[in-house]
Amino acid sequence: MTLALPTRWIEEWKYSDLARALGDAGFGEDSAAARLGPVPQGVEAFSLDEAKKPEWVKAHYGKLPANSVSAVSLAKARGGIALRVHKNKHVEAPLALDFTGHGHVRALLVLEEGASLTLLERCGSAETRNTGFEIVLGRNARLDHVRIAPNSSAVQVEEISMTMANDAQYRAHFANFGAKLSRLELAIALQGVGAAADLSGVSVLSGTSHADITTYVTHEVGETQSLQLFKKVVGGSAQAVYQGKVTVKPGADGSDSRQTAKALLLGARAEADLKPELEILADDVKCVHGAAVGDLDADSLFYLRSRGIPENDARHLLLHAFLEDAVAGIANTDLREMVRGMVSRALDKVTA
Amino acid sequence: MLEIKNLHVTVGGKEILKGLSLRVEAGEVHAIMGPNGSGKSTLSYVLAGRAGYDITEGSISYCGENLAALAPEERAAKGVFLAMQYPVEIPGVTTMMFLKSAINAQRRARGEAELDAVSVLKAVRKMAASLNVSEEMLKRALNVGFSGGEKKRLEILQMALFEPKLAILDETDSGLDIDALRLVAEGVNALRAPERAMLLITHYQRLLDYIVPDRIHVLANGRIIAEGGKELALELEAKGYEQIIKDAA
Repeated sequence: MTLALPTRWIEEWKYSDLARALGDAGFGEDSAAARLGPVPQGVEAFSLDEAKKPEWVKAHYGKLPANSVSAVSLAKARGGIALRVHKNKHVEAPLALDFTGHGHVRALLVLEEGASLTLLERCGSAETRNTGFEIVLGRNARLDHVRIAPNSSAVQVEEISMTMANDAQYRAHFANFGAKLSRLELAIALQGVGAAADLSGVSVLSGTSHADITTYVTHEVGETQSLQLFKKVVGGSAQAVYQGKVTVKPGADGSDSRQTAKALLLGARAEADLKPELEILADDVKCVHGAAVGDLDADSLFYLRSRGIPENDARHLLLHAFLEDAVAGIANTDLREMVRGMVSRALDKVTA
Repeated sequence: MLEIKNLHVTVGGKEILKGLSLRVEAGEVHAIMGPNGSGKSTLSYVLAGRAGYDITEGSISYCGENLAALAPEERAAKGVFLAMQYPVEIPGVTTMMFLKSAINAQRRARGEAELDAVSVLKAVRKMAASLNVSEEMLKRALNVGFSGGEKKRLEILQMALFEPKLAILDETDSGLDIDALRLVAEGVNALRAPERAMLLITHYQRLLDYIVPDRIHVLANGRIIAEGGKELALELEAKGYEQIIKDAA
């Protein structure tokens, strides 16, 4: 299979020129790896490089819509992992999933009816990688998802494609510290009444880093909810991108959608491209979106300094404060503190 | 302690202070009164070191040091405190966390050991009760959703905690009802001390019923145009600023 990689002449990739970032080498033909931390009881794992796939993997693997880049990972990846949480099983301990190595990799996560899981996804930063991740949330399933993308000099692209049945709950936080090119694309289909997706994310970028979060949320039926809150702190000549498209399908009355993206630019060469977008095809819906790009508030900075807090510390404090409402959404205390710590270290670099 | 000589300050290219001179000794409470636009807030900001307030002429000496050469945080560590007219709201930083950061930043700058969270909490609680600052306020984001009175009380709480040598209170009475004003004034009076100087900046005489100053200066058009004891406030109240400005001319 050959693929013409998206260039910035394609609207959806306008702010992330993948072809240029990858150069002639492209993603190559290698397979990257998906590694699991200790697998808690109640979680079933299957290695996708094994030939004989069980029924539940066959039923879901490769079935969700994939964008052009993700289609390539589906065609080329030989490795990867499939995970299933059985019906009504509540898994307390977070499960760690690490993507490492160079090349293409796939993952599948199925939460059966009434199941719940906290997933910590970490992106190994050393190599160029194309990840395709399918997530299926059954009725009344609940997934808490924290994805960490540490600072990387490589090109890292991931597509998460997800369906949510009735009353399924998805709460996700995406912490991104930039790469040569980093793109996370999230396609969520709210297919069941009562399904709710609560997405938040922070990007803290310095140097020449790039981080693009692109979301497609589709309210296919009514009484569904989507919340998005993305905050970005951009220093140096870094670039942060948020593109969020919310579609409310005909008849999806009673849908509730809120979308907020805010960025602080800390240098003349820093860039933020925020593009929330709404397509409403139903009548009775509540949709709000907004985006704002700014600088640190001079009054706040002076107030803190007049109380004895040195300028750099004051900036650090205000940047933390700016990001805090996005981080506060992480339900798991340990993971929340971990992200706060990473944010703090990234802010040290930005304010240095 | 504070000696301002012939101070000229421009803001955005416009001269606001036009040769202001003032001397305040330790243990004294001075009031600066003046109509709107006379330069009162400019004086408070220039003393605290706000950017954009440019000294074009004159000097400010604080404890024998050139105050203008110090960054705002250095002034704070050396004992200059400004209670602001409009304290800023900072979502995402709890009041308690802010107080701890500020106290320890000042202590670090002075080469003193930092206080742990428990010691800070103890110190804050001791002051908070008398100023009617609740535990709940301390847990909330800094000044967010605080009433005017709550904001001013928190400013005075900070003053009590930081134990400044020179406290400047900018329109601390504005927006307060009579009960809140009394509470704030009691807080300020409790902090009067032989080693501490205070500068009350106010439009109205009302505050001076509660905090009686040693000396009153009338500021108009960027200069001190009249000075006197506490009786000057009553004269101002009776005659109005216009008449006093005319008399001085």
